[in-house]
Amino acid sequence: MSGPNADRLEAEILRHALRVAAEEASIVVVHSAHSAMIAEGADACAGILDREGRLVTLSTATNLMHAASLRCSLPAILEDHDLEAMAPGDVFVMNDCFRGGIHANDLVVFRPVFREGRVEWWTGTLIHVSDLGGSSAGGIVPTATDVFAEGLQLPPVRLYAGGEPVADLHQILALNSRTPDRVMGDVGALVAGVNVAAERMEGLAERYGTARLRAGIEDYLAGSETRMREELAKLAPGTYRGEYRIDGDGLEPDRQPVVRVCAEVGGGREGIRLDFSETDDQALGAINAGFSQALTGALYAVRCFVDPSIPMNEGCFSPVDVVFRKGSLLDPHPPAACGGRVVSVTAVCEAVVHALSRARPELATAASSVIHPFTLAAPSRLEPWLLLSYEYGGLGARRGSDGPDATGAFFLGGRNVVPQIEPLEASLPIVFERQRLLPDSGGAGQWRGGLGVETRIRVLQETELAVRSERVLLPPKGREGGQDGTAGTQYVIEEGGGERSLPAKGANLQMAANEVLVLTTSGGGGLGAPGDRAAEAVAHDVEEGFVSAEEAEAHYGVRGSGPR
Amino acid sequence: MSEACVLGADIGGTFTDVVLTRGDGRLHVAKQLTSPEAPERSVLEAVGRVLAEAAIAPGEIERVVHGTTLATNAVIERKGARVAFVTTEGFGDLLRIGREARVEDDRYDLHFAPAPPPLERAAIFELPERVSARGEVLRPVAPPGLEAVVEGVRAYAPEAVAICLLHAYAHPGHEEALEEALRAAMPDVVVVRSSRVHPEMREFDRASTTLFTAEVAPLMARYLARLASGLESLGIRAPLQIMESSGGVMAASVAAERAVATLESGGAAGVMAAARFAGFYEKSRVISFDMGGTTAKAGVVEKGRPAVVRELHVGGRGSFGGRRAGTGMPIKTPTIDLAEVGAGGGSIGWLDPEGVLRVGPRSAGASPGPACYGQGGLEPTVTDANLVLGYLSPENFADGRFALDPAPARRALEDRIASPLGVSVERAAWAMHEAASASMASAIHVVTVQRGLDPRDHTLVAFGGAGPMHVVGIAREFGIDQVIAPTHAGVASAIGMQATDLTAEHGLTYLVSSDALSPAEARARFAEVEVAARRKMGVGDDEEGLEVGRLVDARFVGQAHEVSIPLASFDVIGEIPARFRTRYAELYGVAPAGRVEFAALRVRLRRPVDRPPLVDQVASASEAPPMEQRLAWFGPEAPVETGVVRRADFRPGVALSGPVIIEGSVETTVVPPGWNVRVDLAASLVIERDR
Repeated sequence: MSGPNADRLEAEILRHALRVAAEEASIVVVHSAHSAMIAEGADACAGILDREGRLVTLSTATNLMHAASLRCSLPAILEDHDLEAMAPGDVFVMNDCFRGGIHANDLVVFRPVFREGRVEWWTGTLIHVSDLGGSSAGGIVPTATDVFAEGLQLPPVRLYAGGEPVADLHQILALNSRTPDRVMGDVGALVAGVNVAAERMEGLAERYGTARLRAGIEDYLAGSETRMREELAKLAPGTYRGEYRIDGDGLEPDRQPVVRVCAEVGGGREGIRLDFSETDDQALGAINAGFSQALTGALYAVRCFVDPSIPMNEGCFSPVDVVFRKGSLLDPHPPAACGGRVVSVTAVCEAVVHALSRARPELATAASSVIHPFTLAAPSRLEPWLLLSYEYGGLGARRGSDGPDATGAFFLGGRNVVPQIEPLEASLPIVFERQRLLPDSGGAGQWRGGLGVETRIRVLQETELAVRSERVLLPPKGREGGQDGTAGTQYVIEEGGGERSLPAKGANLQMAANEVLVLTTSGGGGLGAPGDRAAEAVAHDVEEGFVSAEEAEAHYGVRGSGPR
Repeated sequence: MSEACVLGADIGGTFTDVVLTRGDGRLHVAKQLTSPEAPERSVLEAVGRVLAEAAIAPGEIERVVHGTTLATNAVIERKGARVAFVTTEGFGDLLRIGREARVEDDRYDLHFAPAPPPLERAAIFELPERVSARGEVLRPVAPPGLEAVVEGVRAYAPEAVAICLLHAYAHPGHEEALEEALRAAMPDVVVVRSSRVHPEMREFDRASTTLFTAEVAPLMARYLARLASGLESLGIRAPLQIMESSGGVMAASVAAERAVATLESGGAAGVMAAARFAGFYEKSRVISFDMGGTTAKAGVVEKGRPAVVRELHVGGRGSFGGRRAGTGMPIKTPTIDLAEVGAGGGSIGWLDPEGVLRVGPRSAGASPGPACYGQGGLEPTVTDANLVLGYLSPENFADGRFALDPAPARRALEDRIASPLGVSVERAAWAMHEAASASMASAIHVVTVQRGLDPRDHTLVAFGGAGPMHVVGIAREFGIDQVIAPTHAGVASAIGMQATDLTAEHGLTYLVSSDALSPAEARARFAEVEVAARRKMGVGDDEEGLEVGRLVDARFVGQAHEVSIPLASFDVIGEIPARFRTRYAELYGVAPAGRVEFAALRVRLRRPVDRPPLVDQVASASEAPPMEQRLAWFGPEAPVETGVVRRADFRPGVALSGPVIIEGSVETTVVPPGWNVRVDLAASLVIERDR
């Protein structure tokens, strides 16, 4: 076979092979990681980049929170290190959130891929490692007021030199962790990932030849960019605004910062411009987002309005012009604390989705819950243990369908990343007492918001707790007559049965042995007037226990017998 | 003197294939339309036919191997039994909360639809009880709680009950107590507990596996009882074995409780057949392509072995054939890695609202079947198109046992496709043939291109009734130069399953530090696992002649994913950590220093079967076979005068140039212009691109 058919097939095989290389690296990281959250659930991010730092491919199971971070942090390595001075087997690491990183615990690891003595490509991996210091175990430090309290900062430095571990750095990492074995296990997993992907890239270059591989990649990126521009040109031209108000940063009680976006769509091939300049100033607490994270949120939201099958590579980034104001919540001055950036990133997504849904009204959604991360730890014991996990709430209702339950914000990718209970109990001194869908937590509406969940965990030892809950003061908003969802809560049940309230964003909170942590996540907002909801849908909700008989009557005027 | 004959019976959506292999390797085959409402009937009729043809006594049948899609259909159509689900108090929403991942394109879909909850609220019951991960009882089962659950379940009136309590793998006692109470109260209800079905850690995976087992177990039990009594009335008392998704078989006696292990059995049988041919032809890379009446399946065999995965996903999504981890509902059972598309001979062609021609996934099945079967089918199928194109003969289909009527086939094509599109019937037929080929090619795409494998490095082995008719066009699409259509390709799955071994695998979560497992303790623990594995296989504790493989799942302390390390003898249990470290370094390229722990013990049992000879050895000939001519279409413009030979007349030593059609008793092979075909000494057709 020859001619255009063969070329097409070869191009396709090549693209899939690139994707599989990133995919495999991601799987290797997950399979060899030591953090309970990564190993039991969450996906690792892995990618291939080219010599210039452009993103070539990203593992498709990647946590979308990390989508832009590899791409945004490689330039820091290229700035600080001379390509000519690099050697095969070098591996670099960094986490500086002001240069493309996320926060201390999210380590970004890169390995150059050499052909004929020249760096041609990069493989990169990224996960949240177990613990890297800071004033609260596991990297959840809502009370941090600067980046120094969040953990060890790493500029772009060599982790391996010519295939040999850089012992000095390994020792620094281990000494700065409350869980040195685990964190070094996680670092090993990240390195295993970049090694596997580099090996695959070398194999591909061997098979296709460097020049053909390079040309194939060039076509791939150009094709994605063309598709992205064509899709963006389909949006109705106009200027669309959106905003989202955050509960607060946990430290400044009188301030509820707002993320604001102004989206300009021209209707031609120029792409889209998202201007976040009017977003409020940076916060004292840790809810600020480094630019790579803010960009991740913006790009995710834009991708919800174009053909989803466009591959995630540099071609998606080029047509999206994003403007942040230095000193705002989305691109803060150092040394702002940035560990809680998921709050602001969610705000970015919600604001952009809200704005752009005016260009495509069928994609209107009510607001969703925000992730509830928490850590449980015994950091000062001889045998330290640590769990970083999270819970998800309901999604906002969509035009035409109810919001899904217990599955987090749209960009979080689903619930499979929440660890199952049994393996956690097998390795940690905790016992789950309950996990259930929360009836009535979804906002009423023609289409109902998704339900939140209630989780109860008994700690068997004295335990230190950190929580970073959002949508606790301000519930997810309803839309177009739909009602708000129910806000989340967090509290402790003491041994005598009394309840002790917890701050929504707090660290170094103490729990006595046998106390129970209760977390409830928020329900999504409803969309459309509740009175317009189909009677059968209300009856089904009551039958299935999603809505109580009382609430059904109060919101929908429907009398039901309720579940057995 | 018994002749030691083996029967293979494979039920597909359209046809039921039965093959009787005699001790000397001679085959008798029967293809029969499947009776969907009572699948055993078509099996029994076909068995009767091969017995009559072979003229042997039923007592000479030594073994019956059966592949069934009963469980598959029940799961896909959600038509399983009415099931009540019991779990630990506080966790009733376990399966409703779910763990579904949004992958790939779904991640950006603001309208994505989560899978509907697998259970209605009324079917869920919570038992007051709790055990720890170490198997200690934190809260015992008390009679009032037990009675309340039994009462509730009874009132729900289920056909089956699925029990999954937290940490039941470490302490099955509570599940056993509930099982006993339920059986006592409801003797006719099937009770399935997780500690028996899948005693491994991770409650969602275990609960899902248990739930699906309960949904299909009653159906499978009833069906197999009908089949066994039918076989007995034919005088066949040989052991009945059921094909598994893993590529092995199990005893029918355990097939109800292990029905989820049959979900991909049809595809597995085909890939196993391809694996045998790969070995026979010493091909290290083979793509198996199996096209029947309802679906087409593709798998890859590398170095003689198909890849086996440890779980499958019901309703899975994403690329890699919808097998993305985290999508759909997991079922923990070893499964051959394959891709399936809803395109077969019976697939219906239709025009979508925009006037674009589509083929499948709806199939005319066995009833009414394609329009040309003359059973009242009014919609055009791929088979109808192939008849109009001249590939199939109205008289010689299935050795002339089954006449095909071109008139209703042409009418269906005219009414539904040609006339609305304003084209000729032949052009419509050609478009349908091409659309079906493209759809089937996507299955091959999934197992090769999407995994970064180059299909051009592979030989394509084609079988199934319709496989050899489409395969060359598909090979051309991928740049594959050689295709093999084995003898009796139309019933290859039924032949393939006759040569599969009796196998079972059983795992048990067993968390222990690597230095805390003595050889004596290992021996005792593995003995328990082996007992369970033997039960899964349906053989007794003292049955001999089994190959026993033991594996220890090892990991570094703190990890959640293990590497299975084979254990050659209990005395060397102390060497496992070192072997694990070596293997780990090979797999991941890093060598962590951490402590090693064991997470699970696994036993794999295999009882090899005597394989009937693979192929008919045939004598070569120097003369070309008698050839008829008819018009066939190899493009939309005009038909070509095409040679037609009988496969039985076609002998090694002669090569024919395309276009040529080779009519076999259970399949038709189409060789288009630009390709040539010969028969090798094993009676396979070898089709190659002209050089």
